[in-house]
Amino acid sequence: MSYTCGMLPVLDQHEDHHYEMSEYEGAKARWCPGCGDHSILTAVQRLLAAEQLAPEQTMMVSGIGCSSRLPHYMKTYGFHGLHGRALPVATGIKLHRPELTVFVTMGDGDCTSIGAGHWVHAMRYNVDMTAMLLDNGIYGLTKMQTSPTTPQGFKSNTQPFGTLLPPLNPLEIALGVTNASFVAQTAEWAPSHLYATLRAAYKHKGFSFVRILQRCPVFTPAIYQKAVQDPARIQLLVHDDGVVTPDLEKIYKSQLHHDPRDLAAARSLAEQTETIKLGVFYKNPSKPRYEESRRVAPRTPAERIALLEKEFARYAV
Amino acid sequence: MPSDPRVAQALSALAQPIAEFRAAVQGALAQADAFMAAQTADAATLASHAAAQLGVFAKSHVDPAKFAAMFPTVATADKESQKALEKAATILRRVAAQGEDMALATVSDGRKLGATIDTALAGAGQAFGAIIITELVRGSRYKKAEHEKLLDPTEFRAWNNAERRFAPPLVVVVNGADLHAGALLDFADGREKIVLVVEGAAPPAALVRCITPGTFVLQTVDGTGLDRLAGYEGPAIAALLPEGAATFMHDPTAGKEPWQRLTVPFLPSAPFKAVGGFSAWQMEQDVKMLADLARTPFAVPAAPGAKGAPALGAGEAVDRIASWLLETSGIKGTA
Amino acid sequence: MSASATAAPAPPKVLRVPEHTVEIVSDSGEGAQKCGQIFAAVSAKMGNGVWTVELIPAEIQPPPRVPEGASGNRIRVGENAVTNWGDRTDLVIAFNEQVLLARHRVDALADDALLLIEDKWARSEDPDIVAQWEAALKELSSKHYRIIPVAMEDECLTIVDNPRKGKNMFALGMLARIYGRDMELIKAQIAYAFRKKSEEVYTQNVALLELGFHWAEDNIDIRVEIPTHASDKPLVVMNGNEAIAMGSIASGMELCAMYPITPATSVSHLLSEVFERFGGIVHQAEDEIAAVGVAIGASYAGKVAFTITSGPGMALKTEFLGLAVMTETPLVLVNVQRGGPSTGLPTKVEQSDMLAALYGQTGDSPHIVMAPATIEECFHIMITARRLAETFRTLVMVLSDANLATGVSPYPTPTLDEAWQAAPLDLAPVKEGQKAYGWNKETGLSERIIPGRPGGMFTLTGLAHDDRSKVAYSSDIHQHSSAMRSRKMAVLQSLLVPPTVYGDASGDLLVVGWGSTKGAIEEAVDRARKEGLKVSSLHLRFLSPLEPGLKDIFKRFKKVMTVEINYSDEPDDPYITEENRRRGQLSILLRNATLVDVDCWGRVPGEPLRPMSIVEAIRGRVPRGGAK
Ligand SMILES: Cc1ncc(C[n+]2csc(CCOP(=O)(O)OP(=O)(O)O)c2C)c(N)n1
Ligand code: SF4
Ligand SMILES: [Mg+2]
Repeated sequence: MSYTCGMLPVLDQHEDHHYEMSEYEGAKARWCPGCGDHSILTAVQRLLAAEQLAPEQTMMVSGIGCSSRLPHYMKTYGFHGLHGRALPVATGIKLHRPELTVFVTMGDGDCTSIGAGHWVHAMRYNVDMTAMLLDNGIYGLTKMQTSPTTPQGFKSNTQPFGTLLPPLNPLEIALGVTNASFVAQTAEWAPSHLYATLRAAYKHKGFSFVRILQRCPVFTPAIYQKAVQDPARIQLLVHDDGVVTPDLEKIYKSQLHHDPRDLAAARSLAEQTETIKLGVFYKNPSKPRYEESRRVAPRTPAERIALLEKEFARYAV
Repeated sequence: MPSDPRVAQALSALAQPIAEFRAAVQGALAQADAFMAAQTADAATLASHAAAQLGVFAKSHVDPAKFAAMFPTVATADKESQKALEKAATILRRVAAQGEDMALATVSDGRKLGATIDTALAGAGQAFGAIIITELVRGSRYKKAEHEKLLDPTEFRAWNNAERRFAPPLVVVVNGADLHAGALLDFADGREKIVLVVEGAAPPAALVRCITPGTFVLQTVDGTGLDRLAGYEGPAIAALLPEGAATFMHDPTAGKEPWQRLTVPFLPSAPFKAVGGFSAWQMEQDVKMLADLARTPFAVPAAPGAKGAPALGAGEAVDRIASWLLETSGIKGTA
Repeated sequence: MSASATAAPAPPKVLRVPEHTVEIVSDSGEGAQKCGQIFAAVSAKMGNGVWTVELIPAEIQPPPRVPEGASGNRIRVGENAVTNWGDRTDLVIAFNEQVLLARHRVDALADDALLLIEDKWARSEDPDIVAQWEAALKELSSKHYRIIPVAMEDECLTIVDNPRKGKNMFALGMLARIYGRDMELIKAQIAYAFRKKSEEVYTQNVALLELGFHWAEDNIDIRVEIPTHASDKPLVVMNGNEAIAMGSIASGMELCAMYPITPATSVSHLLSEVFERFGGIVHQAEDEIAAVGVAIGASYAGKVAFTITSGPGMALKTEFLGLAVMTETPLVLVNVQRGGPSTGLPTKVEQSDMLAALYGQTGDSPHIVMAPATIEECFHIMITARRLAETFRTLVMVLSDANLATGVSPYPTPTLDEAWQAAPLDLAPVKEGQKAYGWNKETGLSERIIPGRPGGMFTLTGLAHDDRSKVAYSSDIHQHSSAMRSRKMAVLQSLLVPPTVYGDASGDLLVVGWGSTKGAIEEAVDRARKEGLKVSSLHLRFLSPLEPGLKDIFKRFKKVMTVEINYSDEPDDPYITEENRRRGQLSILLRNATLVDVDCWGRVPGEPLRPMSIVEAIRGRVPRGGAK
């Protein structure tokens, strides 16, 4: 079903156009000044430029939240859908048009609360796309309600005496899903790490889940502050097959050689939250991909009719 | 039509990409025909088209004439565009009429493997052009000066990146004596997939010369591995060889180092008998190369592809294979 | 020989009738359905009209010999086309008295029905069973049924070891004799039904069939003759869900996303088996929300996709349906309605999702709603639905129901047309200045741009937006975009043709219906007209936009009344007044659209309406002095 689709741009790329980063810029971003989403937008645009992705072949799908505004600020195709429901839409797009490159942005409420069911199943389908969880530990757009990842004790508008439950750990969940194939964590305030992680996620064939720690200076200015100020609180997971960011070696001295093929190690690392670990926790390109197993040979109208006539014969009186 | 059952086997391994290419050709043809028919259609014809599209349920509920007027379906095309579209349709009709044979070529006596593939792909390339012309005319964007050349057959070497990505797969029936693997390297790009059905005596490991880090290369006698080839996202070359040939699979996704990517279930041993222009010495060289490539470096003889190879600086290994490749392919200095 | 066999019977009495209704009921797993299906198929082949419904117990494996376990088929056979399941059953074969009681208790059997019951229970060693048998016969004696006990198992035992498996073929043999069915055709059907089994299975089944045939020949004194008219057109026989599945294939759609829910699921069963061969896939999503989300994603990216569901599933999809309307993404949703609210009556028919379908989305959410009236229309409607979704860039809902889904009836084999199918994707670069919603100011129509088209790069959003799809909250923009989405409905209505009245164009009463009730309503109207009542009927396929010209049609009748399978208060129920009366859903819609005082009559019996009950309603509603 993808043959003609991808062929037309053949013509329009005749003189092998080189895309500048600015060509991926859409409307002016309207996030608060200092919001971590700005840096994520930049990293995504940088990635598209580095990979020279044709804007018309690239899809940004999102849910609802501050973070989900991202597609509007890109000059690619975008679908800004419902709160919590970006993943089913992205799955549908990719099932029908596997040749498109799909990125998904979600907030922590979006992905881990209202959309948690879809999240688990999307990981299991392992459809090739890059899914970014922009985790600011709060409901931003609706103004500071507790989200599943809000730190326990944090005073929010819905739990003003302190957030009641310990926060959910998205990495543990992701690593627990059968057939998950790529799980990584990065932080928006380490742009080169963010970029390298998104790049690794994009390169991975399958569902790449990237949790991006994202600062919300308006509602949760404190939650990542210590980690931002004190690099010792961060440990980089490094591996040739994951991310390596030589320029960060001087800042983040704590580094751990972690082979992303080792799921047991990944799980145990995800559990250890005293230090924030950035890097690729798990990667397995050999997991089956749903869109691949569902690939069907396209049919022309005439072929369809011939087959349908046979099918009707089964019901003939 | 050759009756070799291996041809059917090769075609069926490539069924998915062939079906995709065929669907593209037939889809474009249907659109071209419909567009040309609509150019001269009067209101009544347009209404009957609308009625047909709306289906039987709408028959007594929707007014097809009003519907057709509300949704004018096609733009009017100028003479030049119409001419181009007619030409495109002729090409599409010819290719569509070939059915599965559109992906089949035979190296006839006196021709070369490379030239045969070139001709076959040029025909497919023309179909590309015809599909694009159809789209251009339908979208009122056809400009003769700019686009006319799209309908000419173009050799693979002139295809752009995008076209190479959509290159249709090809099954080529070739005599063992004509199995000049070097010629195949020209086509190892994009997602091109070529499966050779080799008849008669053949050099035992000719395809070893096609191995590059990103090319899927397969020699098989019974079809094992063809399914993997079909699923590979890059260029792939395979040969279905007579019994006695080396069998191996070079799968670029299987690892970074050559010995990780290469599995060699069967390696024949000398002496070999000359076939056509291939001397026994050349054949021995090929088999040796294959053995070399598959060997785990610095290790006491281990099974090819075995796990736990001693660490070797990644750079070192890549250098080694790169220089070897440059040497064997005779394209020094361009990698 | 069996206890019930009588010596040398008198020549059988021959009933020549235009139609007859037969039931075969058993515990589930005893094969009554296979017997019924073959009987129905052969009747259709011989040139009778046929309407079959399955009798399905609510539990998967109910215990044996309980009324709740009644399972089987009900087949109405007629000289002419049969459009509905009819009133009551004329002849029943029951494998035990308890399942028969179930049918008796729901008033399914005609007062003078002929009942053939397996009587081995009367001779059981278990005193409880004998007591149950006796109590049952006593209960059945309240009607004038004619009961013929048949020792089916004992008979079968003369040629097989396990009579429980095969009794159904004996029963089929009896039916073949009573109804004069073509034995060769039956054997061919048996061969087809057991094509995956061994030759021996076939031979044994045929032996049992013949045993039943000869037994009936010797022991049953009634023959039923229903004239046959062999059709000149080729026919296919299937249920409404199968027709929907086939229709979706014929429309060229390539993705069905669903989550299992009765009675919609069987559409996906058939599709899952064959769709891939047609270049399509069935995606079973993690829930109904995801299912519609996947369908919207696929539709947005290319060819129109569809989702199938029933009431509870449609409720879950609501938010996404609004998104489809807001982003003007084409989508086809099939709701095979069942009884509600909540989990309701999962396997039973109801037409009570109409208002939810029309108005269930939040905000203003104009979209197309259509309903097939016959099994044949279940096929053809999918083609029209896909086409309208595409051209109007909106959501199209198709409201089927459990009656169509499980009813099996022949219809003319469709003449397939390539023009029904979706065109290949258009990926041409967008024209200079093209907008995400290039609304025509008059019609609200616009060209849809799919990803892959160079120069487009629009971000669609469920937030209020302008024609460039830029988020915009300003009042005039929302007013305008709302008008554009709404206008499309008026435009579609302008393309519709006024519906035709069944019967005289004017009269005392016009009965209006929608969906699966068409056959029963028209049959009732025919009967009422024979009684001299001036009644006509009208059947709607388009509910949004409504078909044009209704007010003019209504004016020609003294009274207009809807007949629907949804709940409405009766005017004389306690507490009910003109003001507080809750009316049938279609009547609410029609009153709103026409300002005509449309009355309603609705029932929610968990079964299709019987023509007889509609006739009674008509009699009760014909304006006083209207009838002669
Ligand atoms: C069905 C539904 N429920 C609730 C909302 C309101 N809502 C909008 S965004 C949001 C939460 C946003 O938080 P998060 O997903 O973390 O994204 P952020 O704004 O922090 O980036 C909520 C509850 C909605 N739009 N839709
Ligand atoms: S509220 Fe927080 S998350 Fe939202 S835009 Fe402002 S800073 Fe960013
Ligand atoms: Mg948040």
